[in-house]
Amino acid sequence: MTDNTPGTPGHAPAVGNADSSSQAEPSSTVNSIRRGNSLLPDLASRKILRKKRARRDRIAHWGITTAGYGVVVALLTIFVYLFYEVAPILRGAAVDEQHQFALPEQQSETFRLLLDRYEILGIQYTRNAESVFFDTETGEEQLRVAVPLPQGAAVSSFGYAETISNTVVYGLDNGSAVLARHAFDVSFPDSQRVVSPKLDFPLGESAIQIDQQGQALTHITTEVLARGGATTAIAAVTQDNRLLLARMTSRENLLTGAVQVTTDVQTLPAIPGNAQQLMLDKSLRNLFVLDDQGRIHFYDIVNPAQARLVESVDVGRGERVTAVEFLVGSVSIVVGTESGNLSQWFLVRENDNANDFTLTLIREFRNHGAAITAIAPEHTRKGFIVVDAAGQLGVHYGSSSRTLFLDEVSDNSLSHIAISQINGRVLWLDSEQQVSSASMWNEHPQLSWAAMWNKVWYEGREDPEYIWQSSSGSDEFESKFSLVPLTIGTLKAALYAMLFATPLAIAGAIYTAYFMTPKQRGLVKPAIESMGALPTVILGFLAGLWLAPFVENNLPAIFSFFLLMPVVLLVFALIWTNLPAGFRSKIPEGWEAAISVPVILTFGFICVQSSPWVEVWLFDGSMRQWFTDIGINYDQRNALIVGIAMGFAVIPTVFSIAEDAVFTVPRHLTQGSLALGATRWQTVMGVVLPTASPGIFSAVMMGFGRSVGETMIVLMATGNSPVVNFNIFEGMRTLSANIAVELPETAVGSSHFRVLFLAALVLLALTFIVNTLAEIIRQRLRERYSNL
Amino acid sequence: MTGDQTTTLKGDAATATQDPANRRDRPSVSPASARKIGERETMSLTDEVAKIQVNNLNLFYDADQALRNINLMIPEKRVTAFIGPSGCGKSTLLRCFNRMNDLVDICRIEGEIVMDGKNIYDRDVDVADLRRSVGMVFQKPNPFPKTIYENVAYGLRLQGVTSRRVLDEVVEKSLRAAALWDEVKDRLQENAFRMSGGQQQRLVIARAIAIEPEVILLDEPASALDPISTLKIEELINELKQDYTIIIVTHNMQQAARVSDYTAFMYMGNMVEYGDTDTLFTNPRKKQTEDYITGRYG
Repeated sequence: MTDNTPGTPGHAPAVGNADSSSQAEPSSTVNSIRRGNSLLPDLASRKILRKKRARRDRIAHWGITTAGYGVVVALLTIFVYLFYEVAPILRGAAVDEQHQFALPEQQSETFRLLLDRYEILGIQYTRNAESVFFDTETGEEQLRVAVPLPQGAAVSSFGYAETISNTVVYGLDNGSAVLARHAFDVSFPDSQRVVSPKLDFPLGESAIQIDQQGQALTHITTEVLARGGATTAIAAVTQDNRLLLARMTSRENLLTGAVQVTTDVQTLPAIPGNAQQLMLDKSLRNLFVLDDQGRIHFYDIVNPAQARLVESVDVGRGERVTAVEFLVGSVSIVVGTESGNLSQWFLVRENDNANDFTLTLIREFRNHGAAITAIAPEHTRKGFIVVDAAGQLGVHYGSSSRTLFLDEVSDNSLSHIAISQINGRVLWLDSEQQVSSASMWNEHPQLSWAAMWNKVWYEGREDPEYIWQSSSGSDEFESKFSLVPLTIGTLKAALYAMLFATPLAIAGAIYTAYFMTPKQRGLVKPAIESMGALPTVILGFLAGLWLAPFVENNLPAIFSFFLLMPVVLLVFALIWTNLPAGFRSKIPEGWEAAISVPVILTFGFICVQSSPWVEVWLFDGSMRQWFTDIGINYDQRNALIVGIAMGFAVIPTVFSIAEDAVFTVPRHLTQGSLALGATRWQTVMGVVLPTASPGIFSAVMMGFGRSVGETMIVLMATGNSPVVNFNIFEGMRTLSANIAVELPETAVGSSHFRVLFLAALVLLALTFIVNTLAEIIRQRLRERYSNL
Repeated sequence: MTGDQTTTLKGDAATATQDPANRRDRPSVSPASARKIGERETMSLTDEVAKIQVNNLNLFYDADQALRNINLMIPEKRVTAFIGPSGCGKSTLLRCFNRMNDLVDICRIEGEIVMDGKNIYDRDVDVADLRRSVGMVFQKPNPFPKTIYENVAYGLRLQGVTSRRVLDEVVEKSLRAAALWDEVKDRLQENAFRMSGGQQQRLVIARAIAIEPEVILLDEPASALDPISTLKIEELINELKQDYTIIIVTHNMQQAARVSDYTAFMYMGNMVEYGDTDTLFTNPRKKQTEDYITGRYG
């Protein structure tokens, strides 16, 4: 006993204190173990147990490793699959020459070479007014039809309407013209497809007199009015350089089948130059005359009687133009020059409200280095095939400015090029009168980095723009695949959602974790978290069909609620702190916030009730109209609605993680701060928030990631218009909603299909970048504020 | 070094109990040992100025009573130690002095604690103000995740002090007072977590005295530290006694004997014995006290 000094308290010896009854029992247990009656397993069974443990360890090791790598592999597989679907976009065109044969008619000059829809027949129009149909594999002649010419007349010029109409026109030396059209009858005898060609004459077999003076037509072109029926126009230049425009309306007699044609010929203002080629657009509003100086003279022929020469544009820019052609739709003109320059031009409206158009250079393509000899537009999109004097073949595309193929295919100069309607085969004719037939792969010319991410000058637009418009009802539609509106839309939706959700979720998290009583917290936290289980389709549905009209009808209420609510709460808090202590103490500690709920509800009610009065008083009866009047676009389904609805969906995610972060700030830190005389608020700002900042930051980023990927709400509540702005009163179209809307209706393997996969890849990359950045910042914060 | 001391102290205590006449013959070896039991002049609570007076204090955690009718006078500018076995209520009592128990929802307090003539449990007392004048240092060093400088300046910033000059001055003064200045003066902008445990604890003390409290509560301040750091803290307590009223809770009876002027022994929520440290350790009046300090339970 005497050796027990005050210096060694609590270390009372267990053995030898027999007088202390409380210690008798433990010491007897110790003794029984020492005597060998061990309760632990003996050596042999321990060995077995060790083995068991080792086996379990191994199984766990492999199981966990496999699962971990499995996740990585699964993610990689998704990436690889997306890449696999997107990859063909990057490929250019391939041209594979398969057959070569002699041109069937070599004596007479070839005016035009064409291919049929089934890629089995070629058509050759010649100077001696014959159409020769031949096999594209062997060159074997299938049919030869002669166009009936009036007695004594000879062909002096040749022209054609847009390829899809299959219509050509012969100008004769007696001032008349003959219109011809080739066609194919497809029949299936014995289940075998048989294509039989024929030639017919839409305006009858007799020639139509264009020039009353009977002079030879040196240049001619024709076009069939696309809309409104059977109006055909022919423009021609006579030997004495008069420019004539004839409009023919044909009417078929229902009883006899005879075609009655009424012709109206106008003489247009003289051409300031020597015409080389005439071009009429499909709407019969514009006439373009190319002269031998490389200029295009643009005539406005909307009203033929008052037709005028609008302007002369030097499209050759110092060079002679050797080939000129409309792209499909006859809006864009592609110009090829003697040095191999290729450029695209179309009419651009000059002033906002006037009908003044000027022919404008839109873009240039890769130079061929040799005189361009022929241009063939693709049939369903804005691409074109070019051949030149050096035997090169080029495949180019308008909107994407891409040159997909440019290579020498012949040792000789090429003079004609034809492409099939399905863009799968080309025919070209060289100077040795040899025709080559080649298959072509050119699936995705519309897509390029520039076409998807840069501003593109689309046909009919006044400026280059970012546009997403993937499909339309028209065959000549120029697809607009800019991913910029979708990406901006995605970010816009996420931004407004986070703007709404972040303050509420973080403030809520701080209050719940730090100021609420444990009992309250036990109620509130699960309640908010279960909000996250709400199906987003219901949120979207409510937002689109209830919230959007409600907000539109109560705009002043929404604004006064959002702007004045903080003020009202502050005023309420001020009043509350000045209430007598006796009254305040009736509210149990931690429940102070609950009494602000009726205040908020009452204020919201007042806002909504007073909304119509405010509108009458300040906004002439309608705030929505007032917005329109001051020049702000207002869509019913807009970013404000999406911000609220998607913010609502994001709050549980942000709240839950942020609340955990705040709650797990060590007690000894908050107590340390409180013990220094800090108020709870000072403790929150000075210690809790910095310490919890990595967690709060990841909460916000998780919320952002969620709102970037969210589909259903944005699909239902945004209006899905792919606009490029951050206006809170306009809608947007997000990448995710776009995929959801368009993937079901796109053709598998089409450019549109692949660009949607690319959109998915962009979405994935966006979330990947955001998450990586977030993780880096979070690690930095954690390093700085870690206390472990 | 501390080990040596411990041996010396043991010997001292033993000698003291057996032969009070011999005790002044021992030479002093260190500042701490200069204040060893038996070498001090006899002190008496009746001569002291009261800083805090605890009257009939009862504390309940729900239905469990943790403190039973505590009556106590804490003298000004002296070190008062609370000792007792785990769970006896000494930390709970300590936390009553700056109302840290308010943070525990289920805690209910009866009775009064009068500091400078004012019951700190009165309705109109601002808890934040109270805590500013009653600083506290916890068992585990708890620096904030900030720089060393900001840790010390934190309390001042809470009071709204923004002047760089004032802050610099106070930070230096506090760190010097906590005997830390020489070790950290070149790395004030480093994160406080880079410091050793002992340094962190002294930083926390510096942080507490930066706001010039009147009372400092130390809740087992050295229990997580090594002997050398413990020695430094003890020396520091001895220094701080000049200006502050100090209350320390400790499990280490040697420490209580070394640093305190008065010691209270608590057991099962009761204040068993309270008196000057010399008397309590050498000549306890109660059997329970003697059993505890002689190591019969713990």
